[in-house]
Amino acid sequence: MDSRNWIDRRFETGARYLARLTSRRSFLTRLGTLLVGTASIPLLPLSRAAAQAADTGFEDPDIEGDAGDPMNCNYWRYCSIDGFMSPCCGGSASSCPPGTEMSAVTWIGTCRNPADGHDYLISYNDCCGKSPCGQCFCNNNEDDMPAYVTARSNNINWCLAHSTTAYNSTVALVLGRADG
Amino acid sequence: MRAASILFALGFGLAAADATAAAPPQFNYILHCQGCHLADGQATPGKIPPLVGAGRFLSVEGGRQFLVRVPGVSLSIIPDDELAELMNWMLYRFSAEDMPADFEPYTAEEVGRYRQDPLVEVETVRAGMLGEYEEL
Repeated sequence: MDSRNWIDRRFETGARYLARLTSRRSFLTRLGTLLVGTASIPLLPLSRAAAQAADTGFEDPDIEGDAGDPMNCNYWRYCSIDGFMSPCCGGSASSCPPGTEMSAVTWIGTCRNPADGHDYLISYNDCCGKSPCGQCFCNNNEDDMPAYVTARSNNINWCLAHSTTAYNSTVALVLGRADG
Repeated sequence: MRAASILFALGFGLAAADATAAAPPQFNYILHCQGCHLADGQATPGKIPPLVGAGRFLSVEGGRQFLVRVPGVSLSIIPDDELAELMNWMLYRFSAEDMPADFEPYTAEEVGRYRQDPLVEVETVRAGMLGEYEEL
């Protein structure tokens, strides 16, 4: 007769059963899967942002003679930007940094491309969802108006109309020609 | 549906690149309206009302004035003649199927008159008019 009480017996049976089913290797396998899986999750906002850019119809056609340095505040597309330049923050002049999402609601102005002398419609979409980038602040205010003319003021956090309202940085998309 | 809307948006973008100079209403739309109302006139729920369906207001009393008195239109910096042209363009662009058969295009004089009286309580008036429209 087993002198142990039923609780001891049940735990012993359970422990032996578990030991047969599992090994230290299988534990490591599962831990590894968990670590890699968790590390992949922060990548997800990237693809969401890309899908959203396609939805909003913004595009960035190649412009002949689109010369200049997108990391320089004097770059022609930035003639009316007010914010941190996306290329300094891990993105590009036309894409948001990883982990942020491009706002659909935006500020639109025009800039003259010195390379071909034409004016272009430029969309200054804000990148949202992370704290401010803090790099390469650029504030050019061509045709900007005071904040009380809200729709014509670039000094507004356009992420306020986005699902995540934290402002990170700004891109400068070319929408098309503004002159003939 | 999703693919269709993307194709539509891209098509509009390409058209904009070609036609902005020749078509002032479309140019004005991109520069003054599209930033908030997007390329396809869809709403940003809870933030920005849609232009799609705006033609319904024309069938309700005061609706013709309402469309010009809303802040985005009345307080814009677009001159009256271009604004009238833009209104007519937007209505057919985003709400063609809602347009009353007897719609008379806006004129510069008319738009100039309505915008003298900008609307403050936009949401209330808007909801009331859409309610009236549903009962037609």
